[in-house]
Amino acid sequence: MMYADVLVVEDDPDLADVMLLALREAGYPVRCAGNGREALDAAAKQLPGLVLLDVLMPVMDGWQCARELRARYGRTLPIVVVTAAEHIRSRGHELGADDVLPKPFDIDEFLRTVARYYGAPHPAPSVAAP
Amino acid sequence: MEAVWSALAEQRGKVMSERRFALGIAAAFAIAGVAWVLLTDVLLYSLTSDRALAARFETAKGWLFVLFSSVVIYLLAHRSAARLVRARAAMMAVVDSIADGVLLLGRDRHVAYANPAAARMLNCDSAAELIGMSAPVFSRRFRISYPNGALVPPERFASQRVFDEGGPLKYKALVHPPHGRELVVSVVAAGVRILAGTTAEMVVSVMHDITESENLEHLREQFFAAAAHALKTPVAVIKANAQLMLRSPRPEHADDAMPAIVRQCNRIDRMVQNMLVLSRARSRTLRLHFDEVELAPLVAQVAREMAFDERRNDVHAEVGASPRVLADRERLALVLRNVIEDAQRGSAAGTPVTVRVTQQGDDAEITVGYQALPVEDGSSAADDEYDKLGIGRSVAETIVEAHGGALRAERSGLDATAHICLPISMEASP
Repeated sequence: MMYADVLVVEDDPDLADVMLLALREAGYPVRCAGNGREALDAAAKQLPGLVLLDVLMPVMDGWQCARELRARYGRTLPIVVVTAAEHIRSRGHELGADDVLPKPFDIDEFLRTVARYYGAPHPAPSVAAP
Repeated sequence: MEAVWSALAEQRGKVMSERRFALGIAAAFAIAGVAWVLLTDVLLYSLTSDRALAARFETAKGWLFVLFSSVVIYLLAHRSAARLVRARAAMMAVVDSIADGVLLLGRDRHVAYANPAAARMLNCDSAAELIGMSAPVFSRRFRISYPNGALVPPERFASQRVFDEGGPLKYKALVHPPHGRELVVSVVAAGVRILAGTTAEMVVSVMHDITESENLEHLREQFFAAAAHALKTPVAVIKANAQLMLRSPRPEHADDAMPAIVRQCNRIDRMVQNMLVLSRARSRTLRLHFDEVELAPLVAQVAREMAFDERRNDVHAEVGASPRVLADRERLALVLRNVIEDAQRGSAAGTPVTVRVTQQGDDAEITVGYQALPVEDGSSAADDEYDKLGIGRSVAETIVEAHGGALRAERSGLDATAHICLPISMEASP
C-alpha cells in the first residue's frame, strides 16, 4: 500500500540526510529530491502529503518548482519553503508556499511545522496523481 | 571637537590682537601728534618772539606733520593691502587645489565663483560655465536628488536655505551631471556674515564626493549578506545533527552524523578563508607571498583532497605537463579548491570532474572540465543567481588576477570547462 509522504527537496546531501533522519525518527514516510525537476518527477509518480522545498538549487530552483506544483495540484498540496535566503517570507506567500522555515532551524520547530501541514506522523493513504 | 574649540579661540584671539594693534597705532599717532605740537611749539617760542616768523614756522610744521602722517598712513595701508592680497591669493590657491567642489553664491543667490573641482565633479568644461547659475537652473541641469531618488526642490538646496535659516547645513544628495556618472555627494553650506546675527552676504557650498565610499559600503553589505547566506546551510547541518544526537543519543546516529559535521566544518573553514581573502582584496590589503610553484604536484594534491569527499563527484587529475609559475602556493590551492568545488556542485550525478595542466606558450593553463547539470528556462539557476551567492568564484577570480592571470568559463551544451591561465615568465608576474 502506498502512503502520501513528505518530499524533501534539498540539493545539499548532508542537510537532506539529517532532515530525512529527523522525519523518519518522528514516524513520517519520506522521499528526497535533489532539485526542482526531480521533485516534479517524484510528485508525478506519487503525490506527497507535504513538500519541504529549498530555494536555490541547480537545474530548477524552488520558485519555479513551487509554481509548477501549484499549477498541477492546486492548493491541496502543502508546500513549506526551507531556505537560507533573507526577507523571503512575502515572496514565498506570493508564489503559493504555505509557510517559510528559515535555515538554520531547530529540529523541534522543524517537526512542529511538518506536523502543522502534514498532520500526525502516521502513514496516511496515498492520493493518486492526476 | 576640542580642536574646533581651540581653533575658534585662536581665531577670536587674532581678532582681539588685530583690534589692539589698530588701537595701538591710533594711540601712538595721537601721542606723537600731541607731542609734536607741544614740543615744537615750546621749541619755537623759546627761539623767537617774532609773531610773524612764528606763524610761518607754525604753518611749515603743520605741513610737515601732514607730510609725515601721509607717509605713515601710506606705509600702513600698503602693508595691510599687501597682506590682504597675499591672504586672498593663498585662500584661492587652497580652494582651487582641494578635491572638494566649492561654490560661492552672491547676494543674488547665483553662483559667483566655482573652483575647478566643482567643474570636474559636475562634468563642466570649465568653472566659468557655472558662474551666474541660479538654483532652478542648477537643479534642471544637474538633477539634484535625495538618496531615495526624489528631486530636491531648488529652494531646499542647503546653499539657498542658509540665506534664510542660517547654518551651516549639511545633507547627502545624488547629482546627475549631463553625460556623466551619478555622484553621491555630501553637501555643507555656510553663510558668510560681516557681523554676527546679520543676514548672510554670501554662501559657501562645499560638495564632497562620497561615491566611492558609498559604493564600497554597498559592496560590503552585499558581501556580508552573501557570506551570511552561504554559512546558513552548513550551520543548519551541524545544528540539526547535534540536536538529533541530543534527543536520541545512539552510536549509529553519531557514526552517520560525524562525517557530515566534519564535512560541513571543512566547508565553513573554506568559506571563512574565502571571506578573508575577498574582504582583504576589497579593502586593498590582500598580500600574496610569491614563490616558484610546480603546478602538477599542487593540482594532483588538491584533486586528491577534493575527491576524498564521498558525497561529491569524483575528481581526476591528468597532468601532462608541469610548468612552474611564480605564485602564492596557499592562495593558488584555494583557487583550485573553489573551482573544483563549483564543478562538483554543478556537475551531473556520477560524472567525474577532470583537472588538466598544460603549457600554452608563456602561459600555464589549468582546466577543470565537467558535465554540467541542465538548467531549465525560467529557473533563477539559469540567470546565474545560483553561482552569484557562492563567493568562491569571486575569490578565485580575484586571486588569479592578482597573479597576472585570467579565469574564464566556457560552455558548449552540457560540457563546461573553467580555464585558469597563469603567466610562466617572470615579467608577467606581479
